[in-house]
Amino acid sequence: MQNAIIGGVLASIACGVVGSYVVVKRIGYLAGGIAHSVLGGMGIAYYLGRPPIEGALVAALVFAFVLGWVSLRMQQQEDTVIGALWAGGMAVGILFISQTPGYNVDLMSFLFGNILMISSDDLLWIGGLDVLILLIVFLFYKQFLALSFDEEFARLRGIPVERFYLLFLSLVALTVVILIQIVGLILVIALLTLPAAVSGLYVRSLNLMMLIATFLGIFFTTGGLALSYQPDLPPGPTIILLAGAFYLLSLFITRFKKRA
Amino acid sequence: MNTDSVIKIKDLHFSYGGPKILEDIEIDIQRNEFIGMVGPNGSGKTTLLKIIMGVLTPDRGSVKVLGNPPSQSVKEIGYMPQLTPFSRDFPISVEEVVLMGRLGKTSSIGLFNKTDHLAAEKAMNDVEVLDLRKRSIGSLSGGQLQRVLIARALTCEPKIMILDEPTANVDMKIEKDIFELLKQLNETITIIVVTHDIGFISQYINRVACINRTLVCHPTSELTGETIENMYGSHVHMVHHHHED
Repeated sequence: MQNAIIGGVLASIACGVVGSYVVVKRIGYLAGGIAHSVLGGMGIAYYLGRPPIEGALVAALVFAFVLGWVSLRMQQQEDTVIGALWAGGMAVGILFISQTPGYNVDLMSFLFGNILMISSDDLLWIGGLDVLILLIVFLFYKQFLALSFDEEFARLRGIPVERFYLLFLSLVALTVVILIQIVGLILVIALLTLPAAVSGLYVRSLNLMMLIATFLGIFFTTGGLALSYQPDLPPGPTIILLAGAFYLLSLFITRFKKRA
Repeated sequence: MNTDSVIKIKDLHFSYGGPKILEDIEIDIQRNEFIGMVGPNGSGKTTLLKIIMGVLTPDRGSVKVLGNPPSQSVKEIGYMPQLTPFSRDFPISVEEVVLMGRLGKTSSIGLFNKTDHLAAEKAMNDVEVLDLRKRSIGSLSGGQLQRVLIARALTCEPKIMILDEPTANVDMKIEKDIFELLKQLNETITIIVVTHDIGFISQYINRVACINRTLVCHPTSELTGETIENMYGSHVHMVHHHHED
């Protein structure tokens, strides 16, 4: 239980920071593609008897580059290609898992996560990735802000926009790998975008949005854990439903306030 | 070479792989000129600007900006885009938008430094938006937003400013204010402004560059109702309308 709470807090950091960029840049679909295709890497790692997180990490980074390249170079068919890679990655994963003995339980925990099973090793991974993500965001805060706000202007100021876009997608990939440990890959997109989306409804500055999204993430993960504990519900979906309910409520409140 | 030549284009041709968009463009823009660039939609104005800023490469011809190839000089150009490609609900303040003009001049890692903040402050002061610095861009009026974008173009302390229809979405009064502001800036900066409203801007500019695949330059004094009509007239009209200054 203690590991689960620490894991939730650590994951919320990456999710608040990177999720805010994903929301303002409106690339939720691309992030979804990265998240789901990661199953391919996890399946292969599992089949080879390696820890799934290693496979997830490699696959997430590879797919981030492939999908980034697609969205830069094939804008016409971008959504179709992302859809194909999304499903293809999952299919590869399921095939490999099916060829590994005793797969049933593990498939479910890949897809829907199991925050209660987080080990101290997992926490080290998550913490390490957090540090890496925060370091990169701090070093290139200006460029990422310019890139998500006004890409054309950034290019005219001499920023290598494509390189930063790929670097940014790599951060999304790392965050996805972290979040898979908490809620599984099907629900990653919700946890990546909902805290930032809620926070974006209330604040008008990106760094404040990141900060509040992080706290909301902590609130959703610990709150979801607490709610699921007594009735023995799976924590992943409980966390997501809590976040989703909060988002809808916030949306309703802000709309209502605007009209009033 | 004339040292006061800021932008020098010779024998430039461009197409996106199909029909020619720009043909045989020649222009020599001198320091502290104020050029109005006019032409119908799809005439190649924005394409020519993109070539000057090194985003597009011409099929043929030479382009020198401040004596160098465009890609080297683009950091010396302050640019204000035609349409604002960003979303108005983006969570960002006026000051942060203006600071972005410092990219390319500031260090490439870490946050903006003191010099950047001073430059942004000066630019906001010049265009009179300093009191809006903490406001989010979503809360600005059309005229305020245009000024903020001019400030963003100014923070890199540019030698050239290129403005693509800076007054497209504002009323006459604000349009006049903006051109008065540009006229002041023109004392130290060479300005190219794309516009539809040549009648109005003729009192501010030195020369009009009329683009419709080809380019013809008129000194403002030559500008008459007939030249304007010719330019916006049919394509055939334009081809015949080819006089040398």
